[in-house]
Amino acid sequence: MTRKTLGLATAMTALLLVSAPALAAGGEAAGSSGGWDGVGAGLAIGLAALGAGLGQGRTGASAMEGIARNPQATGKIQTVMIIGMALMESLAIYGLIVGLKLSGVF
Amino acid sequence: MYHWTWFYLIPGIADGTAIPGVSEAGAHSLHILPTSWFICGLISVFALLANRAIAAARAKGGTLQYVPDSGMSVRNIAEIAVEALINLAEGVFGTRKNAIAYLPLVGTLFLYILVSNLIGLIPGFLPPTSDISTNFALALAVFLVFNIQGLRVNGVGYLKHLMGPILWLAPLMFVLESVGMLFRPVSLSLRLFGNLNGDHMVFGVFSDLVPALIPSIVLGLGLFVSFIQAFVFTLLSVVYVALAIAHDDH
Repeated sequence: MTRKTLGLATAMTALLLVSAPALAAGGEAAGSSGGWDGVGAGLAIGLAALGAGLGQGRTGASAMEGIARNPQATGKIQTVMIIGMALMESLAIYGLIVGLKLSGVF
Repeated sequence: MYHWTWFYLIPGIADGTAIPGVSEAGAHSLHILPTSWFICGLISVFALLANRAIAAARAKGGTLQYVPDSGMSVRNIAEIAVEALINLAEGVFGTRKNAIAYLPLVGTLFLYILVSNLIGLIPGFLPPTSDISTNFALALAVFLVFNIQGLRVNGVGYLKHLMGPILWLAPLMFVLESVGMLFRPVSLSLRLFGNLNGDHMVFGVFSDLVPALIPSIVLGLGLFVSFIQAFVFTLLSVVYVALAIAHDDH
């Protein structure tokens, strides 16, 4: 592990451990999750958006490179790129739906 | 989040008494059926006007009937829409004959989902595609179409295709492939549902934070998302049907 990854992991663990007493004091009322629902919701949409963002960035970059090499194929490349973006977007939407379910909206 | 729509002004809709089978228990979805019928009415009126305009143009006979009108007319819009949809289907199917054969499915999906998404941008209307039931009904229709067509065109070979290339892996491959196939309507409906609900929620939260007209920028994103999601739903269903009926090239 590089030093940056190790530092990030340490910071996240410290944050979770510090917030655990606050979560325990906060909501023991409904359900037995003890307040971790919020963390789950945040992680769900956060990680989903991270993955989708990385994938879509790569797709967009290769689409732009393809159009730059062959401007005549712009229409076809654009169509396929939009389909790819929408499929990756849907994975992020699944994460959003899980997050909303945990936040109690649905 | 209580939703209010213009349809609640019609007596009987808001308390569920006008439409038999819709009860107060599903209070968050009382507006779905009226809005859905309204959209079908809009599309039917457009189709009737277009048919009449095309019949009037055809009555001219000879080469004069192919001349398009100048400016924007119902006939021009209908011709452009149908041509674009056939080209979309032809790009996936390969042959124009197949594209025209599946044009009812393609056209219905695209037009219904597009009008439904766009109607959500107008204040006082909620898109029926923001409800999971409508989306699942559309996705189920697509599921039935591609399975039945796959069985009809390919016969038992359609099921053999699910078993994968290698014989001794067939049980595992069959389970994996059929789960993937069963997940298709779920993913189609969830994608549309999530996109439209997320858009609506972003607009709602933005309106709480920022005064009056600034949240309208989110409506621009909503416009973009509406078109893209209608296009993606239609294209994915066309791809599923094309995958199911493709048999020659292996």
